[in-house]
Amino acid sequence: MLTVTVEEMNAVNFVGVGKEQGDVLMLDNIEVLLKKEEIANRIKELGKEITASYAGEEILVVGILKGSFMFMADLIRAINGPVAVDFMAVSSYGNSFETSGQVKILKDLGVSLEGKNVLIAEDIIDTGLTLNYIVSLLKERKPKSLKVCSLLDKPSRRTVDFTPDFVGFTIGNRFVLGFGLDYYDLWRNLPAVYALKSDD
Amino acid sequence: MLNDVEVLFTADEVQRRVMELGAQITGDYQGEELLVVGILKGAFMFMADLVRSISGPVAIDFMDVSSYGVSSETSGEVRIMKDLDVSLEDRHVLIVEDIVDTGLTLKFILEILQKRKPKSLKVCTLLDKPSRRRVEVVPDYNGFTIEDHFIVGYGIDYAERYRNLAEVAILKPEVYKK
Repeated sequence: MLTVTVEEMNAVNFVGVGKEQGDVLMLDNIEVLLKKEEIANRIKELGKEITASYAGEEILVVGILKGSFMFMADLIRAINGPVAVDFMAVSSYGNSFETSGQVKILKDLGVSLEGKNVLIAEDIIDTGLTLNYIVSLLKERKPKSLKVCSLLDKPSRRTVDFTPDFVGFTIGNRFVLGFGLDYYDLWRNLPAVYALKSDD
Repeated sequence: MLNDVEVLFTADEVQRRVMELGAQITGDYQGEELLVVGILKGAFMFMADLVRSISGPVAIDFMDVSSYGVSSETSGEVRIMKDLDVSLEDRHVLIVEDIVDTGLTLKFILEILQKRKPKSLKVCTLLDKPSRRRVEVVPDYNGFTIEDHFIVGYGIDYAERYRNLAEVAILKPEVYKK
């Protein structure tokens, strides 16, 4: 049985864990945005859509570390057909990132994309800058097709025109965490998506 | 795809065991911050399910290593293709692996990470093949102990395929003995 003291919870300023495994104590500043079951059902639907869309052709699903790993794990299980997997890790350059979306590639893909059906799996799209940059980078590698599937989409935050091919949930502007998304590097392990109440 | 395999553990059996491991880990770390390190690519799915079963503040990172070929088979030495983003110093670190067989690579990784002075360093593997051990390594947490089967599914591949199976399965010999 796990117990967390009030001091510890306040120190994290965030979310603590209740006595039953899987219980999450709601502090005043967070709430569930998307429940586990909602997420699971939507991912199943996306999987079916994607399966139908690729009609048995092999898909190379590319995850952008770290946030997308959880979504990817569930998404590919919902795809019925031949799936290969790879990962990229990127980091922003700071100022130039904010204007161009240009990122540093910390870990590139291990395989060639030429002639392949590539599906980028992302956790969330907001400004669209990073993904826009990554897509143009990967296009140069001559994939047969290149599409994007994002669990969450915040279209109101776009600073560049970018429309994903598959979207789990379109959400508002609130800060979200859980299900792969972090809050200051922690809490990616929460099984649902939570939002900070203080945001609009 | 399912015709190529024989299911060893069903999706439900896997999920049940993962939840047990998560509860055990939760109890052992008692709400202290835990850095969970997944070894790409095979462990990513197990890691995704495992961390959801761990209650508490979890940070996550990944390592990607690749074999040097024959010399890796003898020494376990691997090339680090992607190292960790964060310092391990004074942190509780839990390495998550898909399979431990010879133990060589894992031992090599453990030695590298131990030098970074973590507060604690443990290993959680989904599958353990003790019959294949060439060096002594005992995972702290183990999903299933198995014989030396050719495993695919649940993140584990053969020629990059089968990672998306929800079950842990044995690949039929006719598939790889072509």
